[in-house]
Amino acid sequence: MRGGRPADIATYLALMLVAAFFVGPLLWLVSLALRTSAEVYRGAAAFIPDHPTLANFRQILNDPAFAIYLWNGVKLSVLGAALAVICAAPAAYAFSRLSFRGRGAGLWLILAVQMISPLVILIPLYRYYDWLGLLENHMAVVAVYGAIGIPLTVWLLRAGFHRIPVEIEEAARLDGYSRLETMVLVTLPLAAPSLAAAFVLNVVMNWGQFLVPFILLSSDPKWPISVAIYRFAGSTNASTTQLLAAACLVALVPAIVVFLALQRLLTRALTGGALKG
Amino acid sequence: MGQALNRGAHPLAWLAPVILVLGAIYLWPLLDAIRLAFTDATLLNGVRSYTLSSVTSTLGDPALPQILRATAIFTGASVILLQSLGLAIALLVTRGDRRGLPGMAALRTLVLAAWIVPGVANGLIWQIMFSEAPFGGLNSVIGMIGLGPVAWLSDPQMAMVSAVVANIWQGTAFSMILYYAALRGLDPSLDEAARVDGATSLDRFIFITMPQLKGAMLAGTILVTIQTLNTFDSIIALTGGGPGRATEVLALFTYNTVFRSFDLAGGAVLALLLVAISLALAAVYALLLRQRT
Repeated sequence: MRGGRPADIATYLALMLVAAFFVGPLLWLVSLALRTSAEVYRGAAAFIPDHPTLANFRQILNDPAFAIYLWNGVKLSVLGAALAVICAAPAAYAFSRLSFRGRGAGLWLILAVQMISPLVILIPLYRYYDWLGLLENHMAVVAVYGAIGIPLTVWLLRAGFHRIPVEIEEAARLDGYSRLETMVLVTLPLAAPSLAAAFVLNVVMNWGQFLVPFILLSSDPKWPISVAIYRFAGSTNASTTQLLAAACLVALVPAIVVFLALQRLLTRALTGGALKG
Repeated sequence: MGQALNRGAHPLAWLAPVILVLGAIYLWPLLDAIRLAFTDATLLNGVRSYTLSSVTSTLGDPALPQILRATAIFTGASVILLQSLGLAIALLVTRGDRRGLPGMAALRTLVLAAWIVPGVANGLIWQIMFSEAPFGGLNSVIGMIGLGPVAWLSDPQMAMVSAVVANIWQGTAFSMILYYAALRGLDPSLDEAARVDGATSLDRFIFITMPQLKGAMLAGTILVTIQTLNTFDSIIALTGGGPGRATEVLALFTYNTVFRSFDLAGGAVLALLLVAISLALAAVYALLLRQRT
């Protein structure tokens, strides 16, 4: 192996700097969230608070409004992810297994959708939803989440279907199953890991969605957590910073926990999807 | 590929859900945005007549050059820095993996965690970090060693630096994953041969590793550029575009035009400008990719 102990130490030193940059802001947030308002004013001197308290978290989590924001976030994220996977799965299957004219072009066209900022479509959508009376409607927001998630999901699932040997399906077809039966009974169960990865990835991405609900939902009880903390930040001042810190943690911890729990699944799906095809 | 291709199988039924959803949520609104750009529509009273005046007045807006400048600086600086940082981390971690150093997976996870943080939370976290109040993380740390305070968010130029730092914090993970995957796919025998021939590690990096990473670099750069160009959440939460208009990037300007100034037609023009820049970048990528294969 090249290098030696000195090079190893240099590697670690460089990585420590990287780690400090990435973990620093999160640690600072935790530090503030555990302080009383008096200790907030002591800045870095109170990095480990003299009197750490969970009162901020208690206040946030006991607020019935916050429970609603969290629930809205879960509901929109999960339903949006389900819609994306349900729509993308048959398309991904067709792109992986069928031969038809325009297959390659169609795949690129779907990817091109990814290049369009949601902001662009939200301008006309806002008007449609207004006409149709769908502003403030969660299902209307779910439809947009689903559409935003479809391109990446199609590509991920297509890579997933590619990894399944086609011979298994051919055997099922020879046994007299129709194409649809083959897909539902044979292919989908085999593709379950990719489907799960795509679903979770969509949930995590939807959890972070801000622009779509920010524009389409203006009534407080409809907001997901992402919009709620932004509005909350606008109403905070120096004496409630510790509450804002706690609220931010409440908003980001679920995403990180889900991600850590399923990290292996996700990174495999992501890198597999990125390098194949 | 190696897939059994079924000629004549009709794909339409399989593609119908995607076509329906993308058609209703993307294609139709996009076409409508193009139509709206050539009208005098406002958010309050819809379309009254078709005209070119909103295109000319929006593109001729004296504020636009400054917005585009801020967008270019924000995007350019972010992309260069986070791609470099992503590559550096991927190289370090790959080296660590090879030497069997412990903790590499933990570090990758840490970088990825920042990526999972919702954009709005990212903006708020960095707002707390950069805050010039006593609880501002950075100022109170550098204050301990007798430096500062720095006007992170109230000085126009520093605010741009701050916005870029916050964006790097969140975006580096994506570049890191791409490079890490690319590095793992490299053939070590080339590197080995060069080492036997006495090439220094710097030479090996420049002449052997880098050329093999071109594809990942190209893909990453284009994707990250488009993502950064459309950044909205973190900037609105961090600076709101301020101070003044120092960090008002095109996406934020578009939002403000429609939902603050109620200028629907003007917003549609700006939105299409955003799409045009993104698609141009994507087209460049597709062309370069075609050349390579």
